[in-house]
Amino acid sequence: MTEPGANASPPPKAELLRTEHLTRHFKIGGALSRRTLHAVDDVSFAISEREIVALAGESGSGKSTIARVLARIYKPTSGEAYFEGKPLSGIRSRRDALRYSGLVPMVFQDPFASINPVFRIQHGMLRCLKLHRPELPASQRLAEAARVFEVVGLNPDMLGRFPYELSGGQRQRVGFAQALAMRPKLILADEPVSMLDVSIRIGLLNLMAKLRDEEGVSILYITHDIASARYVADRLIVMYAGQIAETGPIDDVLTHPRHPYTQLLLSAVPDPRAPLSVAAETDRGEPPKVVDPAPGCRFRWRCPLAIDTCEQVTPQLAELRPGHDAACHVAQTSAEEVKAFL
Amino acid sequence: MAMPVSGVATDTPAAQLPAGHALARIGRAIRSNRKATIGTILLLIFILIALFPGVIAHDSPTQDAYAPGLGISTAHLLGTNHYGQDLFSQLVYGTRNVLIIAFVVGLATTGIAVLIGVAAAYLGGGWDGSLNVLTDVLLVIPLFPLLIIIAAYAHGGSTLVLIAAITLTGWSYTARQLRAQALTLRSRDFLAAARVRGERQLYIIMVEVIPTMTSLIVACFLTNALYAVLFASSLQFIGLGDPNTVSWGTTLYWAENNAALQTGEPLWAIAPGACIAVLGSAFALLNYAFDEIGNPALRPVRKPRSKRA
Amino acid sequence: MLEVSGLSVDYVLDRGNVRAVDDVSFTVGRGEFLGIVGESGCGKSTLLFAVAQLLSPPAVVAGGSVLFQGTNLVGLTDDQLSAVRWRDMSVVMQSAMNALNPVTSIGAQFKDAMRAHGKYSAEEITARSAEVLRMVGIDPVHLRSFSHQLSGGMRQRAMIAMALLFTPDLVIMDEPTSALDVVAQRSLMVQIKELQQAFGFAVIFVTHDMSLISHFSDRLMVMYAGQVDELGVTRQIFDKPLHPYTQGLLEAFPSIHGPRVPLKGIPGNPPSLASPPSGCRFHPRCPSAFDRCPAVAPDLYPVGETLVRCLLHENGSPSR
Repeated sequence: MTEPGANASPPPKAELLRTEHLTRHFKIGGALSRRTLHAVDDVSFAISEREIVALAGESGSGKSTIARVLARIYKPTSGEAYFEGKPLSGIRSRRDALRYSGLVPMVFQDPFASINPVFRIQHGMLRCLKLHRPELPASQRLAEAARVFEVVGLNPDMLGRFPYELSGGQRQRVGFAQALAMRPKLILADEPVSMLDVSIRIGLLNLMAKLRDEEGVSILYITHDIASARYVADRLIVMYAGQIAETGPIDDVLTHPRHPYTQLLLSAVPDPRAPLSVAAETDRGEPPKVVDPAPGCRFRWRCPLAIDTCEQVTPQLAELRPGHDAACHVAQTSAEEVKAFL
Repeated sequence: MAMPVSGVATDTPAAQLPAGHALARIGRAIRSNRKATIGTILLLIFILIALFPGVIAHDSPTQDAYAPGLGISTAHLLGTNHYGQDLFSQLVYGTRNVLIIAFVVGLATTGIAVLIGVAAAYLGGGWDGSLNVLTDVLLVIPLFPLLIIIAAYAHGGSTLVLIAAITLTGWSYTARQLRAQALTLRSRDFLAAARVRGERQLYIIMVEVIPTMTSLIVACFLTNALYAVLFASSLQFIGLGDPNTVSWGTTLYWAENNAALQTGEPLWAIAPGACIAVLGSAFALLNYAFDEIGNPALRPVRKPRSKRA
Repeated sequence: MLEVSGLSVDYVLDRGNVRAVDDVSFTVGRGEFLGIVGESGCGKSTLLFAVAQLLSPPAVVAGGSVLFQGTNLVGLTDDQLSAVRWRDMSVVMQSAMNALNPVTSIGAQFKDAMRAHGKYSAEEITARSAEVLRMVGIDPVHLRSFSHQLSGGMRQRAMIAMALLFTPDLVIMDEPTSALDVVAQRSLMVQIKELQQAFGFAVIFVTHDMSLISHFSDRLMVMYAGQVDELGVTRQIFDKPLHPYTQGLLEAFPSIHGPRVPLKGIPGNPPSLASPPSGCRFHPRCPSAFDRCPAVAPDLYPVGETLVRCLLHENGSPSR
């Protein structure tokens, strides 16, 4: 089995996707209200080919919104995303849009709601092939669907079944199969394993690693489970309240977390192999809903290290270790690692 | 990593018999639910009567060949009316008119309701607003008086006029229901998945959304058919249908005109009413049954004998 | 305090009965924290509902008894049960969003609960409601709030507060943390543990997240396909899991510490309860299955303090 993980010294990889100051706001309240929800604020990151980038955060962190902006379900309020160097806002014709949706497909979270229940499984697969593989003649579509099913570990018999006959894990594999059928470069996976049983998750995570290693596909893996992120991802982006808190190679971020929020997340992850420690002081707060925010660090109310600057100036990402950035005033000014929650 | 397949074994090739499979499932569903069985049998009886009236009733309904006011006998199962017409034949031949109205109006109103309801849900914004206003106005206006006005203006209300009038006014209730369900479906992941894979909006509505609403659409059809029967018969009863067509409502009209209840010919009034009630019940039973088949939580629970611990 | 013996629950369907819970027995002592772990379809939620006597048709108790403080709850009428409900035993549901009434305030729901179980004056109700809210760390001003105005974690705490209104002896919880984020989950678990130690009630905690429960439960029960596969002291099960399913489950958790190792999970899918595999229900997915496994359905065999349903341990001594 291929070991999930990055190599020690990777050759430089081509950049696939880059976002620059991506922002997405939503108007909330009634028609007369002026309040805006800042779902995503000033997010910049890049994804190269053949890599799995984990986008981790709690609910309200903006991670799902980013996926939907990248899937072109929402338009960004400001900022831009570039795929293979070309801006997403430049996609206007149906042909360009179709081409993009085949190169950057999305896998959804809920295996029980993401497949149309009235059609057989092959319906979705054949539609994907019809729309995105025009060079494939109609007579060969079913065979190609069967081939893709084998790649994701599904029995091709399932093409003829209805969704209710498949288990949750099998349905998620169908989701990946549909994405793979379109010959994608980057798969946006929005919490693909959160609703699956624990023993099934590993199978899907291994599949994602296999897609990266054998099919050369990059994956943006959105999750709230840091442990699963560590299992498959090469790089990690930690989000809080719509902004990036920390980003870098995943092992480096997890062993040397610089942002207090990352440390909080790590301390909260239950690990059956770790020794019992109920006495740890735990934070009771929850991520805020960011409505018309004032400047300043959005984590400051929960942060034991907050200083005056945190209240006035919104921290920006700065490189603190090679390839490893964090947006925290205290972390940026201190030469040592900050240890707030560990 | 191959997943061993557990459960249903299948050798059937992937793209097999959707039609036969679906019919078998429907058959099983109908047999298992008591309401569905009764409703289906009643409806089938009426359909058979409508298709082959001559086989069942040997007399012409309009021929006033007999002595008036005869009671029930083997020659005249329901007796004769004031004009010497065989009442049983009247009802049997009238079934066709009633069923035509029921099915045509049912299909037409449901079609309009689907169009307007789903369009309102998907187009959103200004379209949703204006379609909603249209629907609400029709919902609020009392339908029966409106029908009376329309039928009265149509001068001589043939069956076609009846059908048109009821269709144009009766779609609003089910349009509302369909819009509500379409709205809840809008945010379902499989529709977002269809969008993301690049499907056009119209395709999504026709192919992805509407088929998932089939059970509600069938229920709407049954509701609309039921109300078509009731409204049409009521209009015919007050004389706004064509009094010369043979239908249950017109039979009632003539019965009322001749004061049947008071002059000792009660069956003339009661029998057509009973037919309307039975057909209406058939539609209603099927409606309930569909709910129960579609939503197992609604099924009647037969309490098993509890074991004493 | 609670003794469940041979409890079985069937779903009565047209095509025959499906046994969702098969001959389950366990005990819960005073102040004990029992975790029930299993994946979807294992019957743990059905078991919980059966113990709390909340089963609704078509599910029925097909056999066995639930002895709560000496009385068998199975077969009692609703009136008889209401004496026990909420005063001595209360239930916290999964997903408070569905369990809390969206159109009334939290305080009104607390009032309903208190009124249903005794006569109290308005001041007593308000005082007690405020007290339980403070116990779970919510400001009592939220008695006036509606459930949609509270965050997910707060809603869950409000549910727990409601369950504690009468400081029952036993609180049954059905996956109360599954809708929460990891930080909120941890703080809720710590809170529950603190409350338990302060007030001494017993807890039955059903979850699919084994790693979460590992630090908080005294004893652990692993369920699979409607049966108990392993039952014992939590730490012992984690240190030395005996049943191959438990071993598989434990190995399915990627760790954030230590080296990255490829994991396997458990191949296959949980069986359909309508037609479970012959013999041992886990044998189609078991890496240690041998020739007798499809033929013989194993009982629960004691191995030290742990009970295991596996033919490998038939003689009571661990053999791998």
